[in-house]
Amino acid sequence: MQSVKPALQSTENDGRAFPLLSTIASEKWFIGAHIFVALAALSIGILLGPYQAFRRAPAFLLQIDLPVFSYYYQALTAHGVLNALVFTTFFIMGSSYFVVQRSLQRPLKSMQAAWVAFWLMTVGLLMAAFAIITGQASVLYTFYPPMQAEWTFYLGLALVIVGTWVGLADVFATYFDWRKEHPGQKVPLAVYAILCNFAMWFTASLGVAIEVLFMLLPMSLGLIDTTDVQVARILFWFFGHPLVYFWLIPAYVSWYTMMPKQLGVRLFSDTMGRVVFLMLMIFSIPIGVHHLYVDPGVSEAAKFMHALLTFVVAAPSLLTIFNLAATLERSGRKRGATGLLDWMWKQPWGNPVIVSQFGGMILFIFGGITGIMNASFNLNVALHNTTWVVGHFHTTVGGAVFMTYIGMLYWMLPMLRGRKLFWRWAATLQAYLWLGGMLIFGGSMGRAGLEGAIRRTDLAGQGAYISDAVAPWLNMSAFAGFLLLISAVLLYVVVIGTLFFSKEESENVAPLATEGPKDEYAPGIFEKWNLWVVVIIGSNIVMWLPVLLSAVDLVNGFWAVGNPGAAR
Amino acid sequence: MHIERYEKLWIYAFVIMLAVFVAALMAGAILFNVRVPGSAGLINPANLDETAFANPGIHDMGDGNYEVYMVARMWSFQPSEIVVPEGAHVTFYVTSADVTHGFIIEHHNANLEVLPGVIGVTNTTFNTPGTFKLQCHEYCGRGHQMMHIDIIVEETEVALAANEE
Repeated sequence: MQSVKPALQSTENDGRAFPLLSTIASEKWFIGAHIFVALAALSIGILLGPYQAFRRAPAFLLQIDLPVFSYYYQALTAHGVLNALVFTTFFIMGSSYFVVQRSLQRPLKSMQAAWVAFWLMTVGLLMAAFAIITGQASVLYTFYPPMQAEWTFYLGLALVIVGTWVGLADVFATYFDWRKEHPGQKVPLAVYAILCNFAMWFTASLGVAIEVLFMLLPMSLGLIDTTDVQVARILFWFFGHPLVYFWLIPAYVSWYTMMPKQLGVRLFSDTMGRVVFLMLMIFSIPIGVHHLYVDPGVSEAAKFMHALLTFVVAAPSLLTIFNLAATLERSGRKRGATGLLDWMWKQPWGNPVIVSQFGGMILFIFGGITGIMNASFNLNVALHNTTWVVGHFHTTVGGAVFMTYIGMLYWMLPMLRGRKLFWRWAATLQAYLWLGGMLIFGGSMGRAGLEGAIRRTDLAGQGAYISDAVAPWLNMSAFAGFLLLISAVLLYVVVIGTLFFSKEESENVAPLATEGPKDEYAPGIFEKWNLWVVVIIGSNIVMWLPVLLSAVDLVNGFWAVGNPGAAR
Repeated sequence: MHIERYEKLWIYAFVIMLAVFVAALMAGAILFNVRVPGSAGLINPANLDETAFANPGIHDMGDGNYEVYMVARMWSFQPSEIVVPEGAHVTFYVTSADVTHGFIIEHHNANLEVLPGVIGVTNTTFNTPGTFKLQCHEYCGRGHQMMHIDIIVEETEVALAANEE
């Protein structure tokens, strides 16, 4: 790639200047701060993974006393919260700001607001982390009541969510400014995807915000005695399933819009990409009951309706397979492939940015298939809360999402730091180790689950039960944990090396598409936000209101007038 | 909107695939009666003593049908052991006296979230003799891993012999 001199391009109306390709100092600190917090949280969360794998394996039954986190369920809470909630959220906000600013060629509407969002999230993180580390919030990252955590845990999580709301409002304001100045133009695909992601996230997070602010926080402060456990679970999973798409869409943004550039080809179909993100925005929320198939207080009819729609949300991922495979075929042909399938292996297998994303895609094949199985209504009875589910989400969020984010990191970090990636070979090795480790981990946890091993259980603890059929698979998961541990150490060697020890200057370019397609094939309906807001509100009322109503009994249940448990 | 020819074929293919999946799970539910568990009503967890859960245990309903009333609390199940003959069809009514618990039986399609305030109901048939663990599968505090009981399925001859003595 040719190095490009920083060029200044002024937007037509407001006269503000934003450099076309080179990143600027304030941007580096702003994006860098998000990535720093994400990696700091991950550094603890990621190490607690192998610790648990070792502790659950009969060959080890590790009984070491860590200075903190010696209590298995405390470590498990920290692992989930730090990796799946904190690392992801900070990385998503940081990378989304980066993509929006670069693609639209303009700074965020308000940098002050974006920094306020960052500090809200950071203070929230510290409050939740304080509660977890002091052992006052060992409630796991699903925090089902009536088990209670210290109030700082709930308020901290609420602040993280409110912080994302401020940030996403800023992104939408930036987009609407751009929209006014560019009538008739399509927004670049990457930005379209991020807008879809934020619209979906805002809607979904209302559920958990209501649960935390009106049910859990008052209970933890002693304002109410008890709460409706089933309703809390419904509100949580209104949020919980879209949450996994909130993680996934930024990975898709990388696959759809960054990876083609990194491979030197064009995306096969921009329009079908838009269809995918639109479908994810709409269909990822009204399907959350597939997490509640074995809950007693949700009607079978509601469970079945959500099962049907869950199959619809598989469609965007199946469309993605075609679009990306066709794009990778272009890449392979460019690298000399001539046969029917040889484009598959004529790819840059030594480039850590690419390999990490390929690893994510390979793991997502397994994550997607196991996900369809989990969602299959009655089949879920055989799988729910077994280690099968752990295998599933370690190939999705711990596989597709994590590996793609690390690929993005290896691409963005040299740009933000201005230095080339340190020990490129180590970064590549890190990606292969993670891919191999997670394939073994996912497979062994899945198999253990089919043999009846249950998740979230301290198998080295007093009185635990491990069957003979399960033991070898748990041992194999500990072996995978060892590979993943080496991979995690390599990751931080590369990151710290790039930040402090890399000497060579990197090219200061951010090659992201700055405009959408000009042809007639991308109809303007994709950006008819009024229409999509109505569709989102309507579909969720249709799909979720019956679920809530089936769980609430105003005559006999928790919400009945005069129930002493309801309020005091 | 333009969609490439091979992409159209791919879309037809996966729509058919997903339709087959849905048909399969509906066939399982309708033809083979493999259902998701449901509710047998709401209950006040503070007043279990005034309900059918006052005396948790197994009730023989005749013709190989049994009903089990079961209470989960930190960190035990009541009853603490269940013995049934081979071929027994058992309906479980399960509720919690305190926090959220879980309910899963090894190698059987019985899986429930056990919530305070709701009576969960599920059923399964024990066709194979042996001992199967019934475990709590939802984190419920420090002693969660201790929360498992045995379901002993006796061979029919043994059960008959025991009755004759």
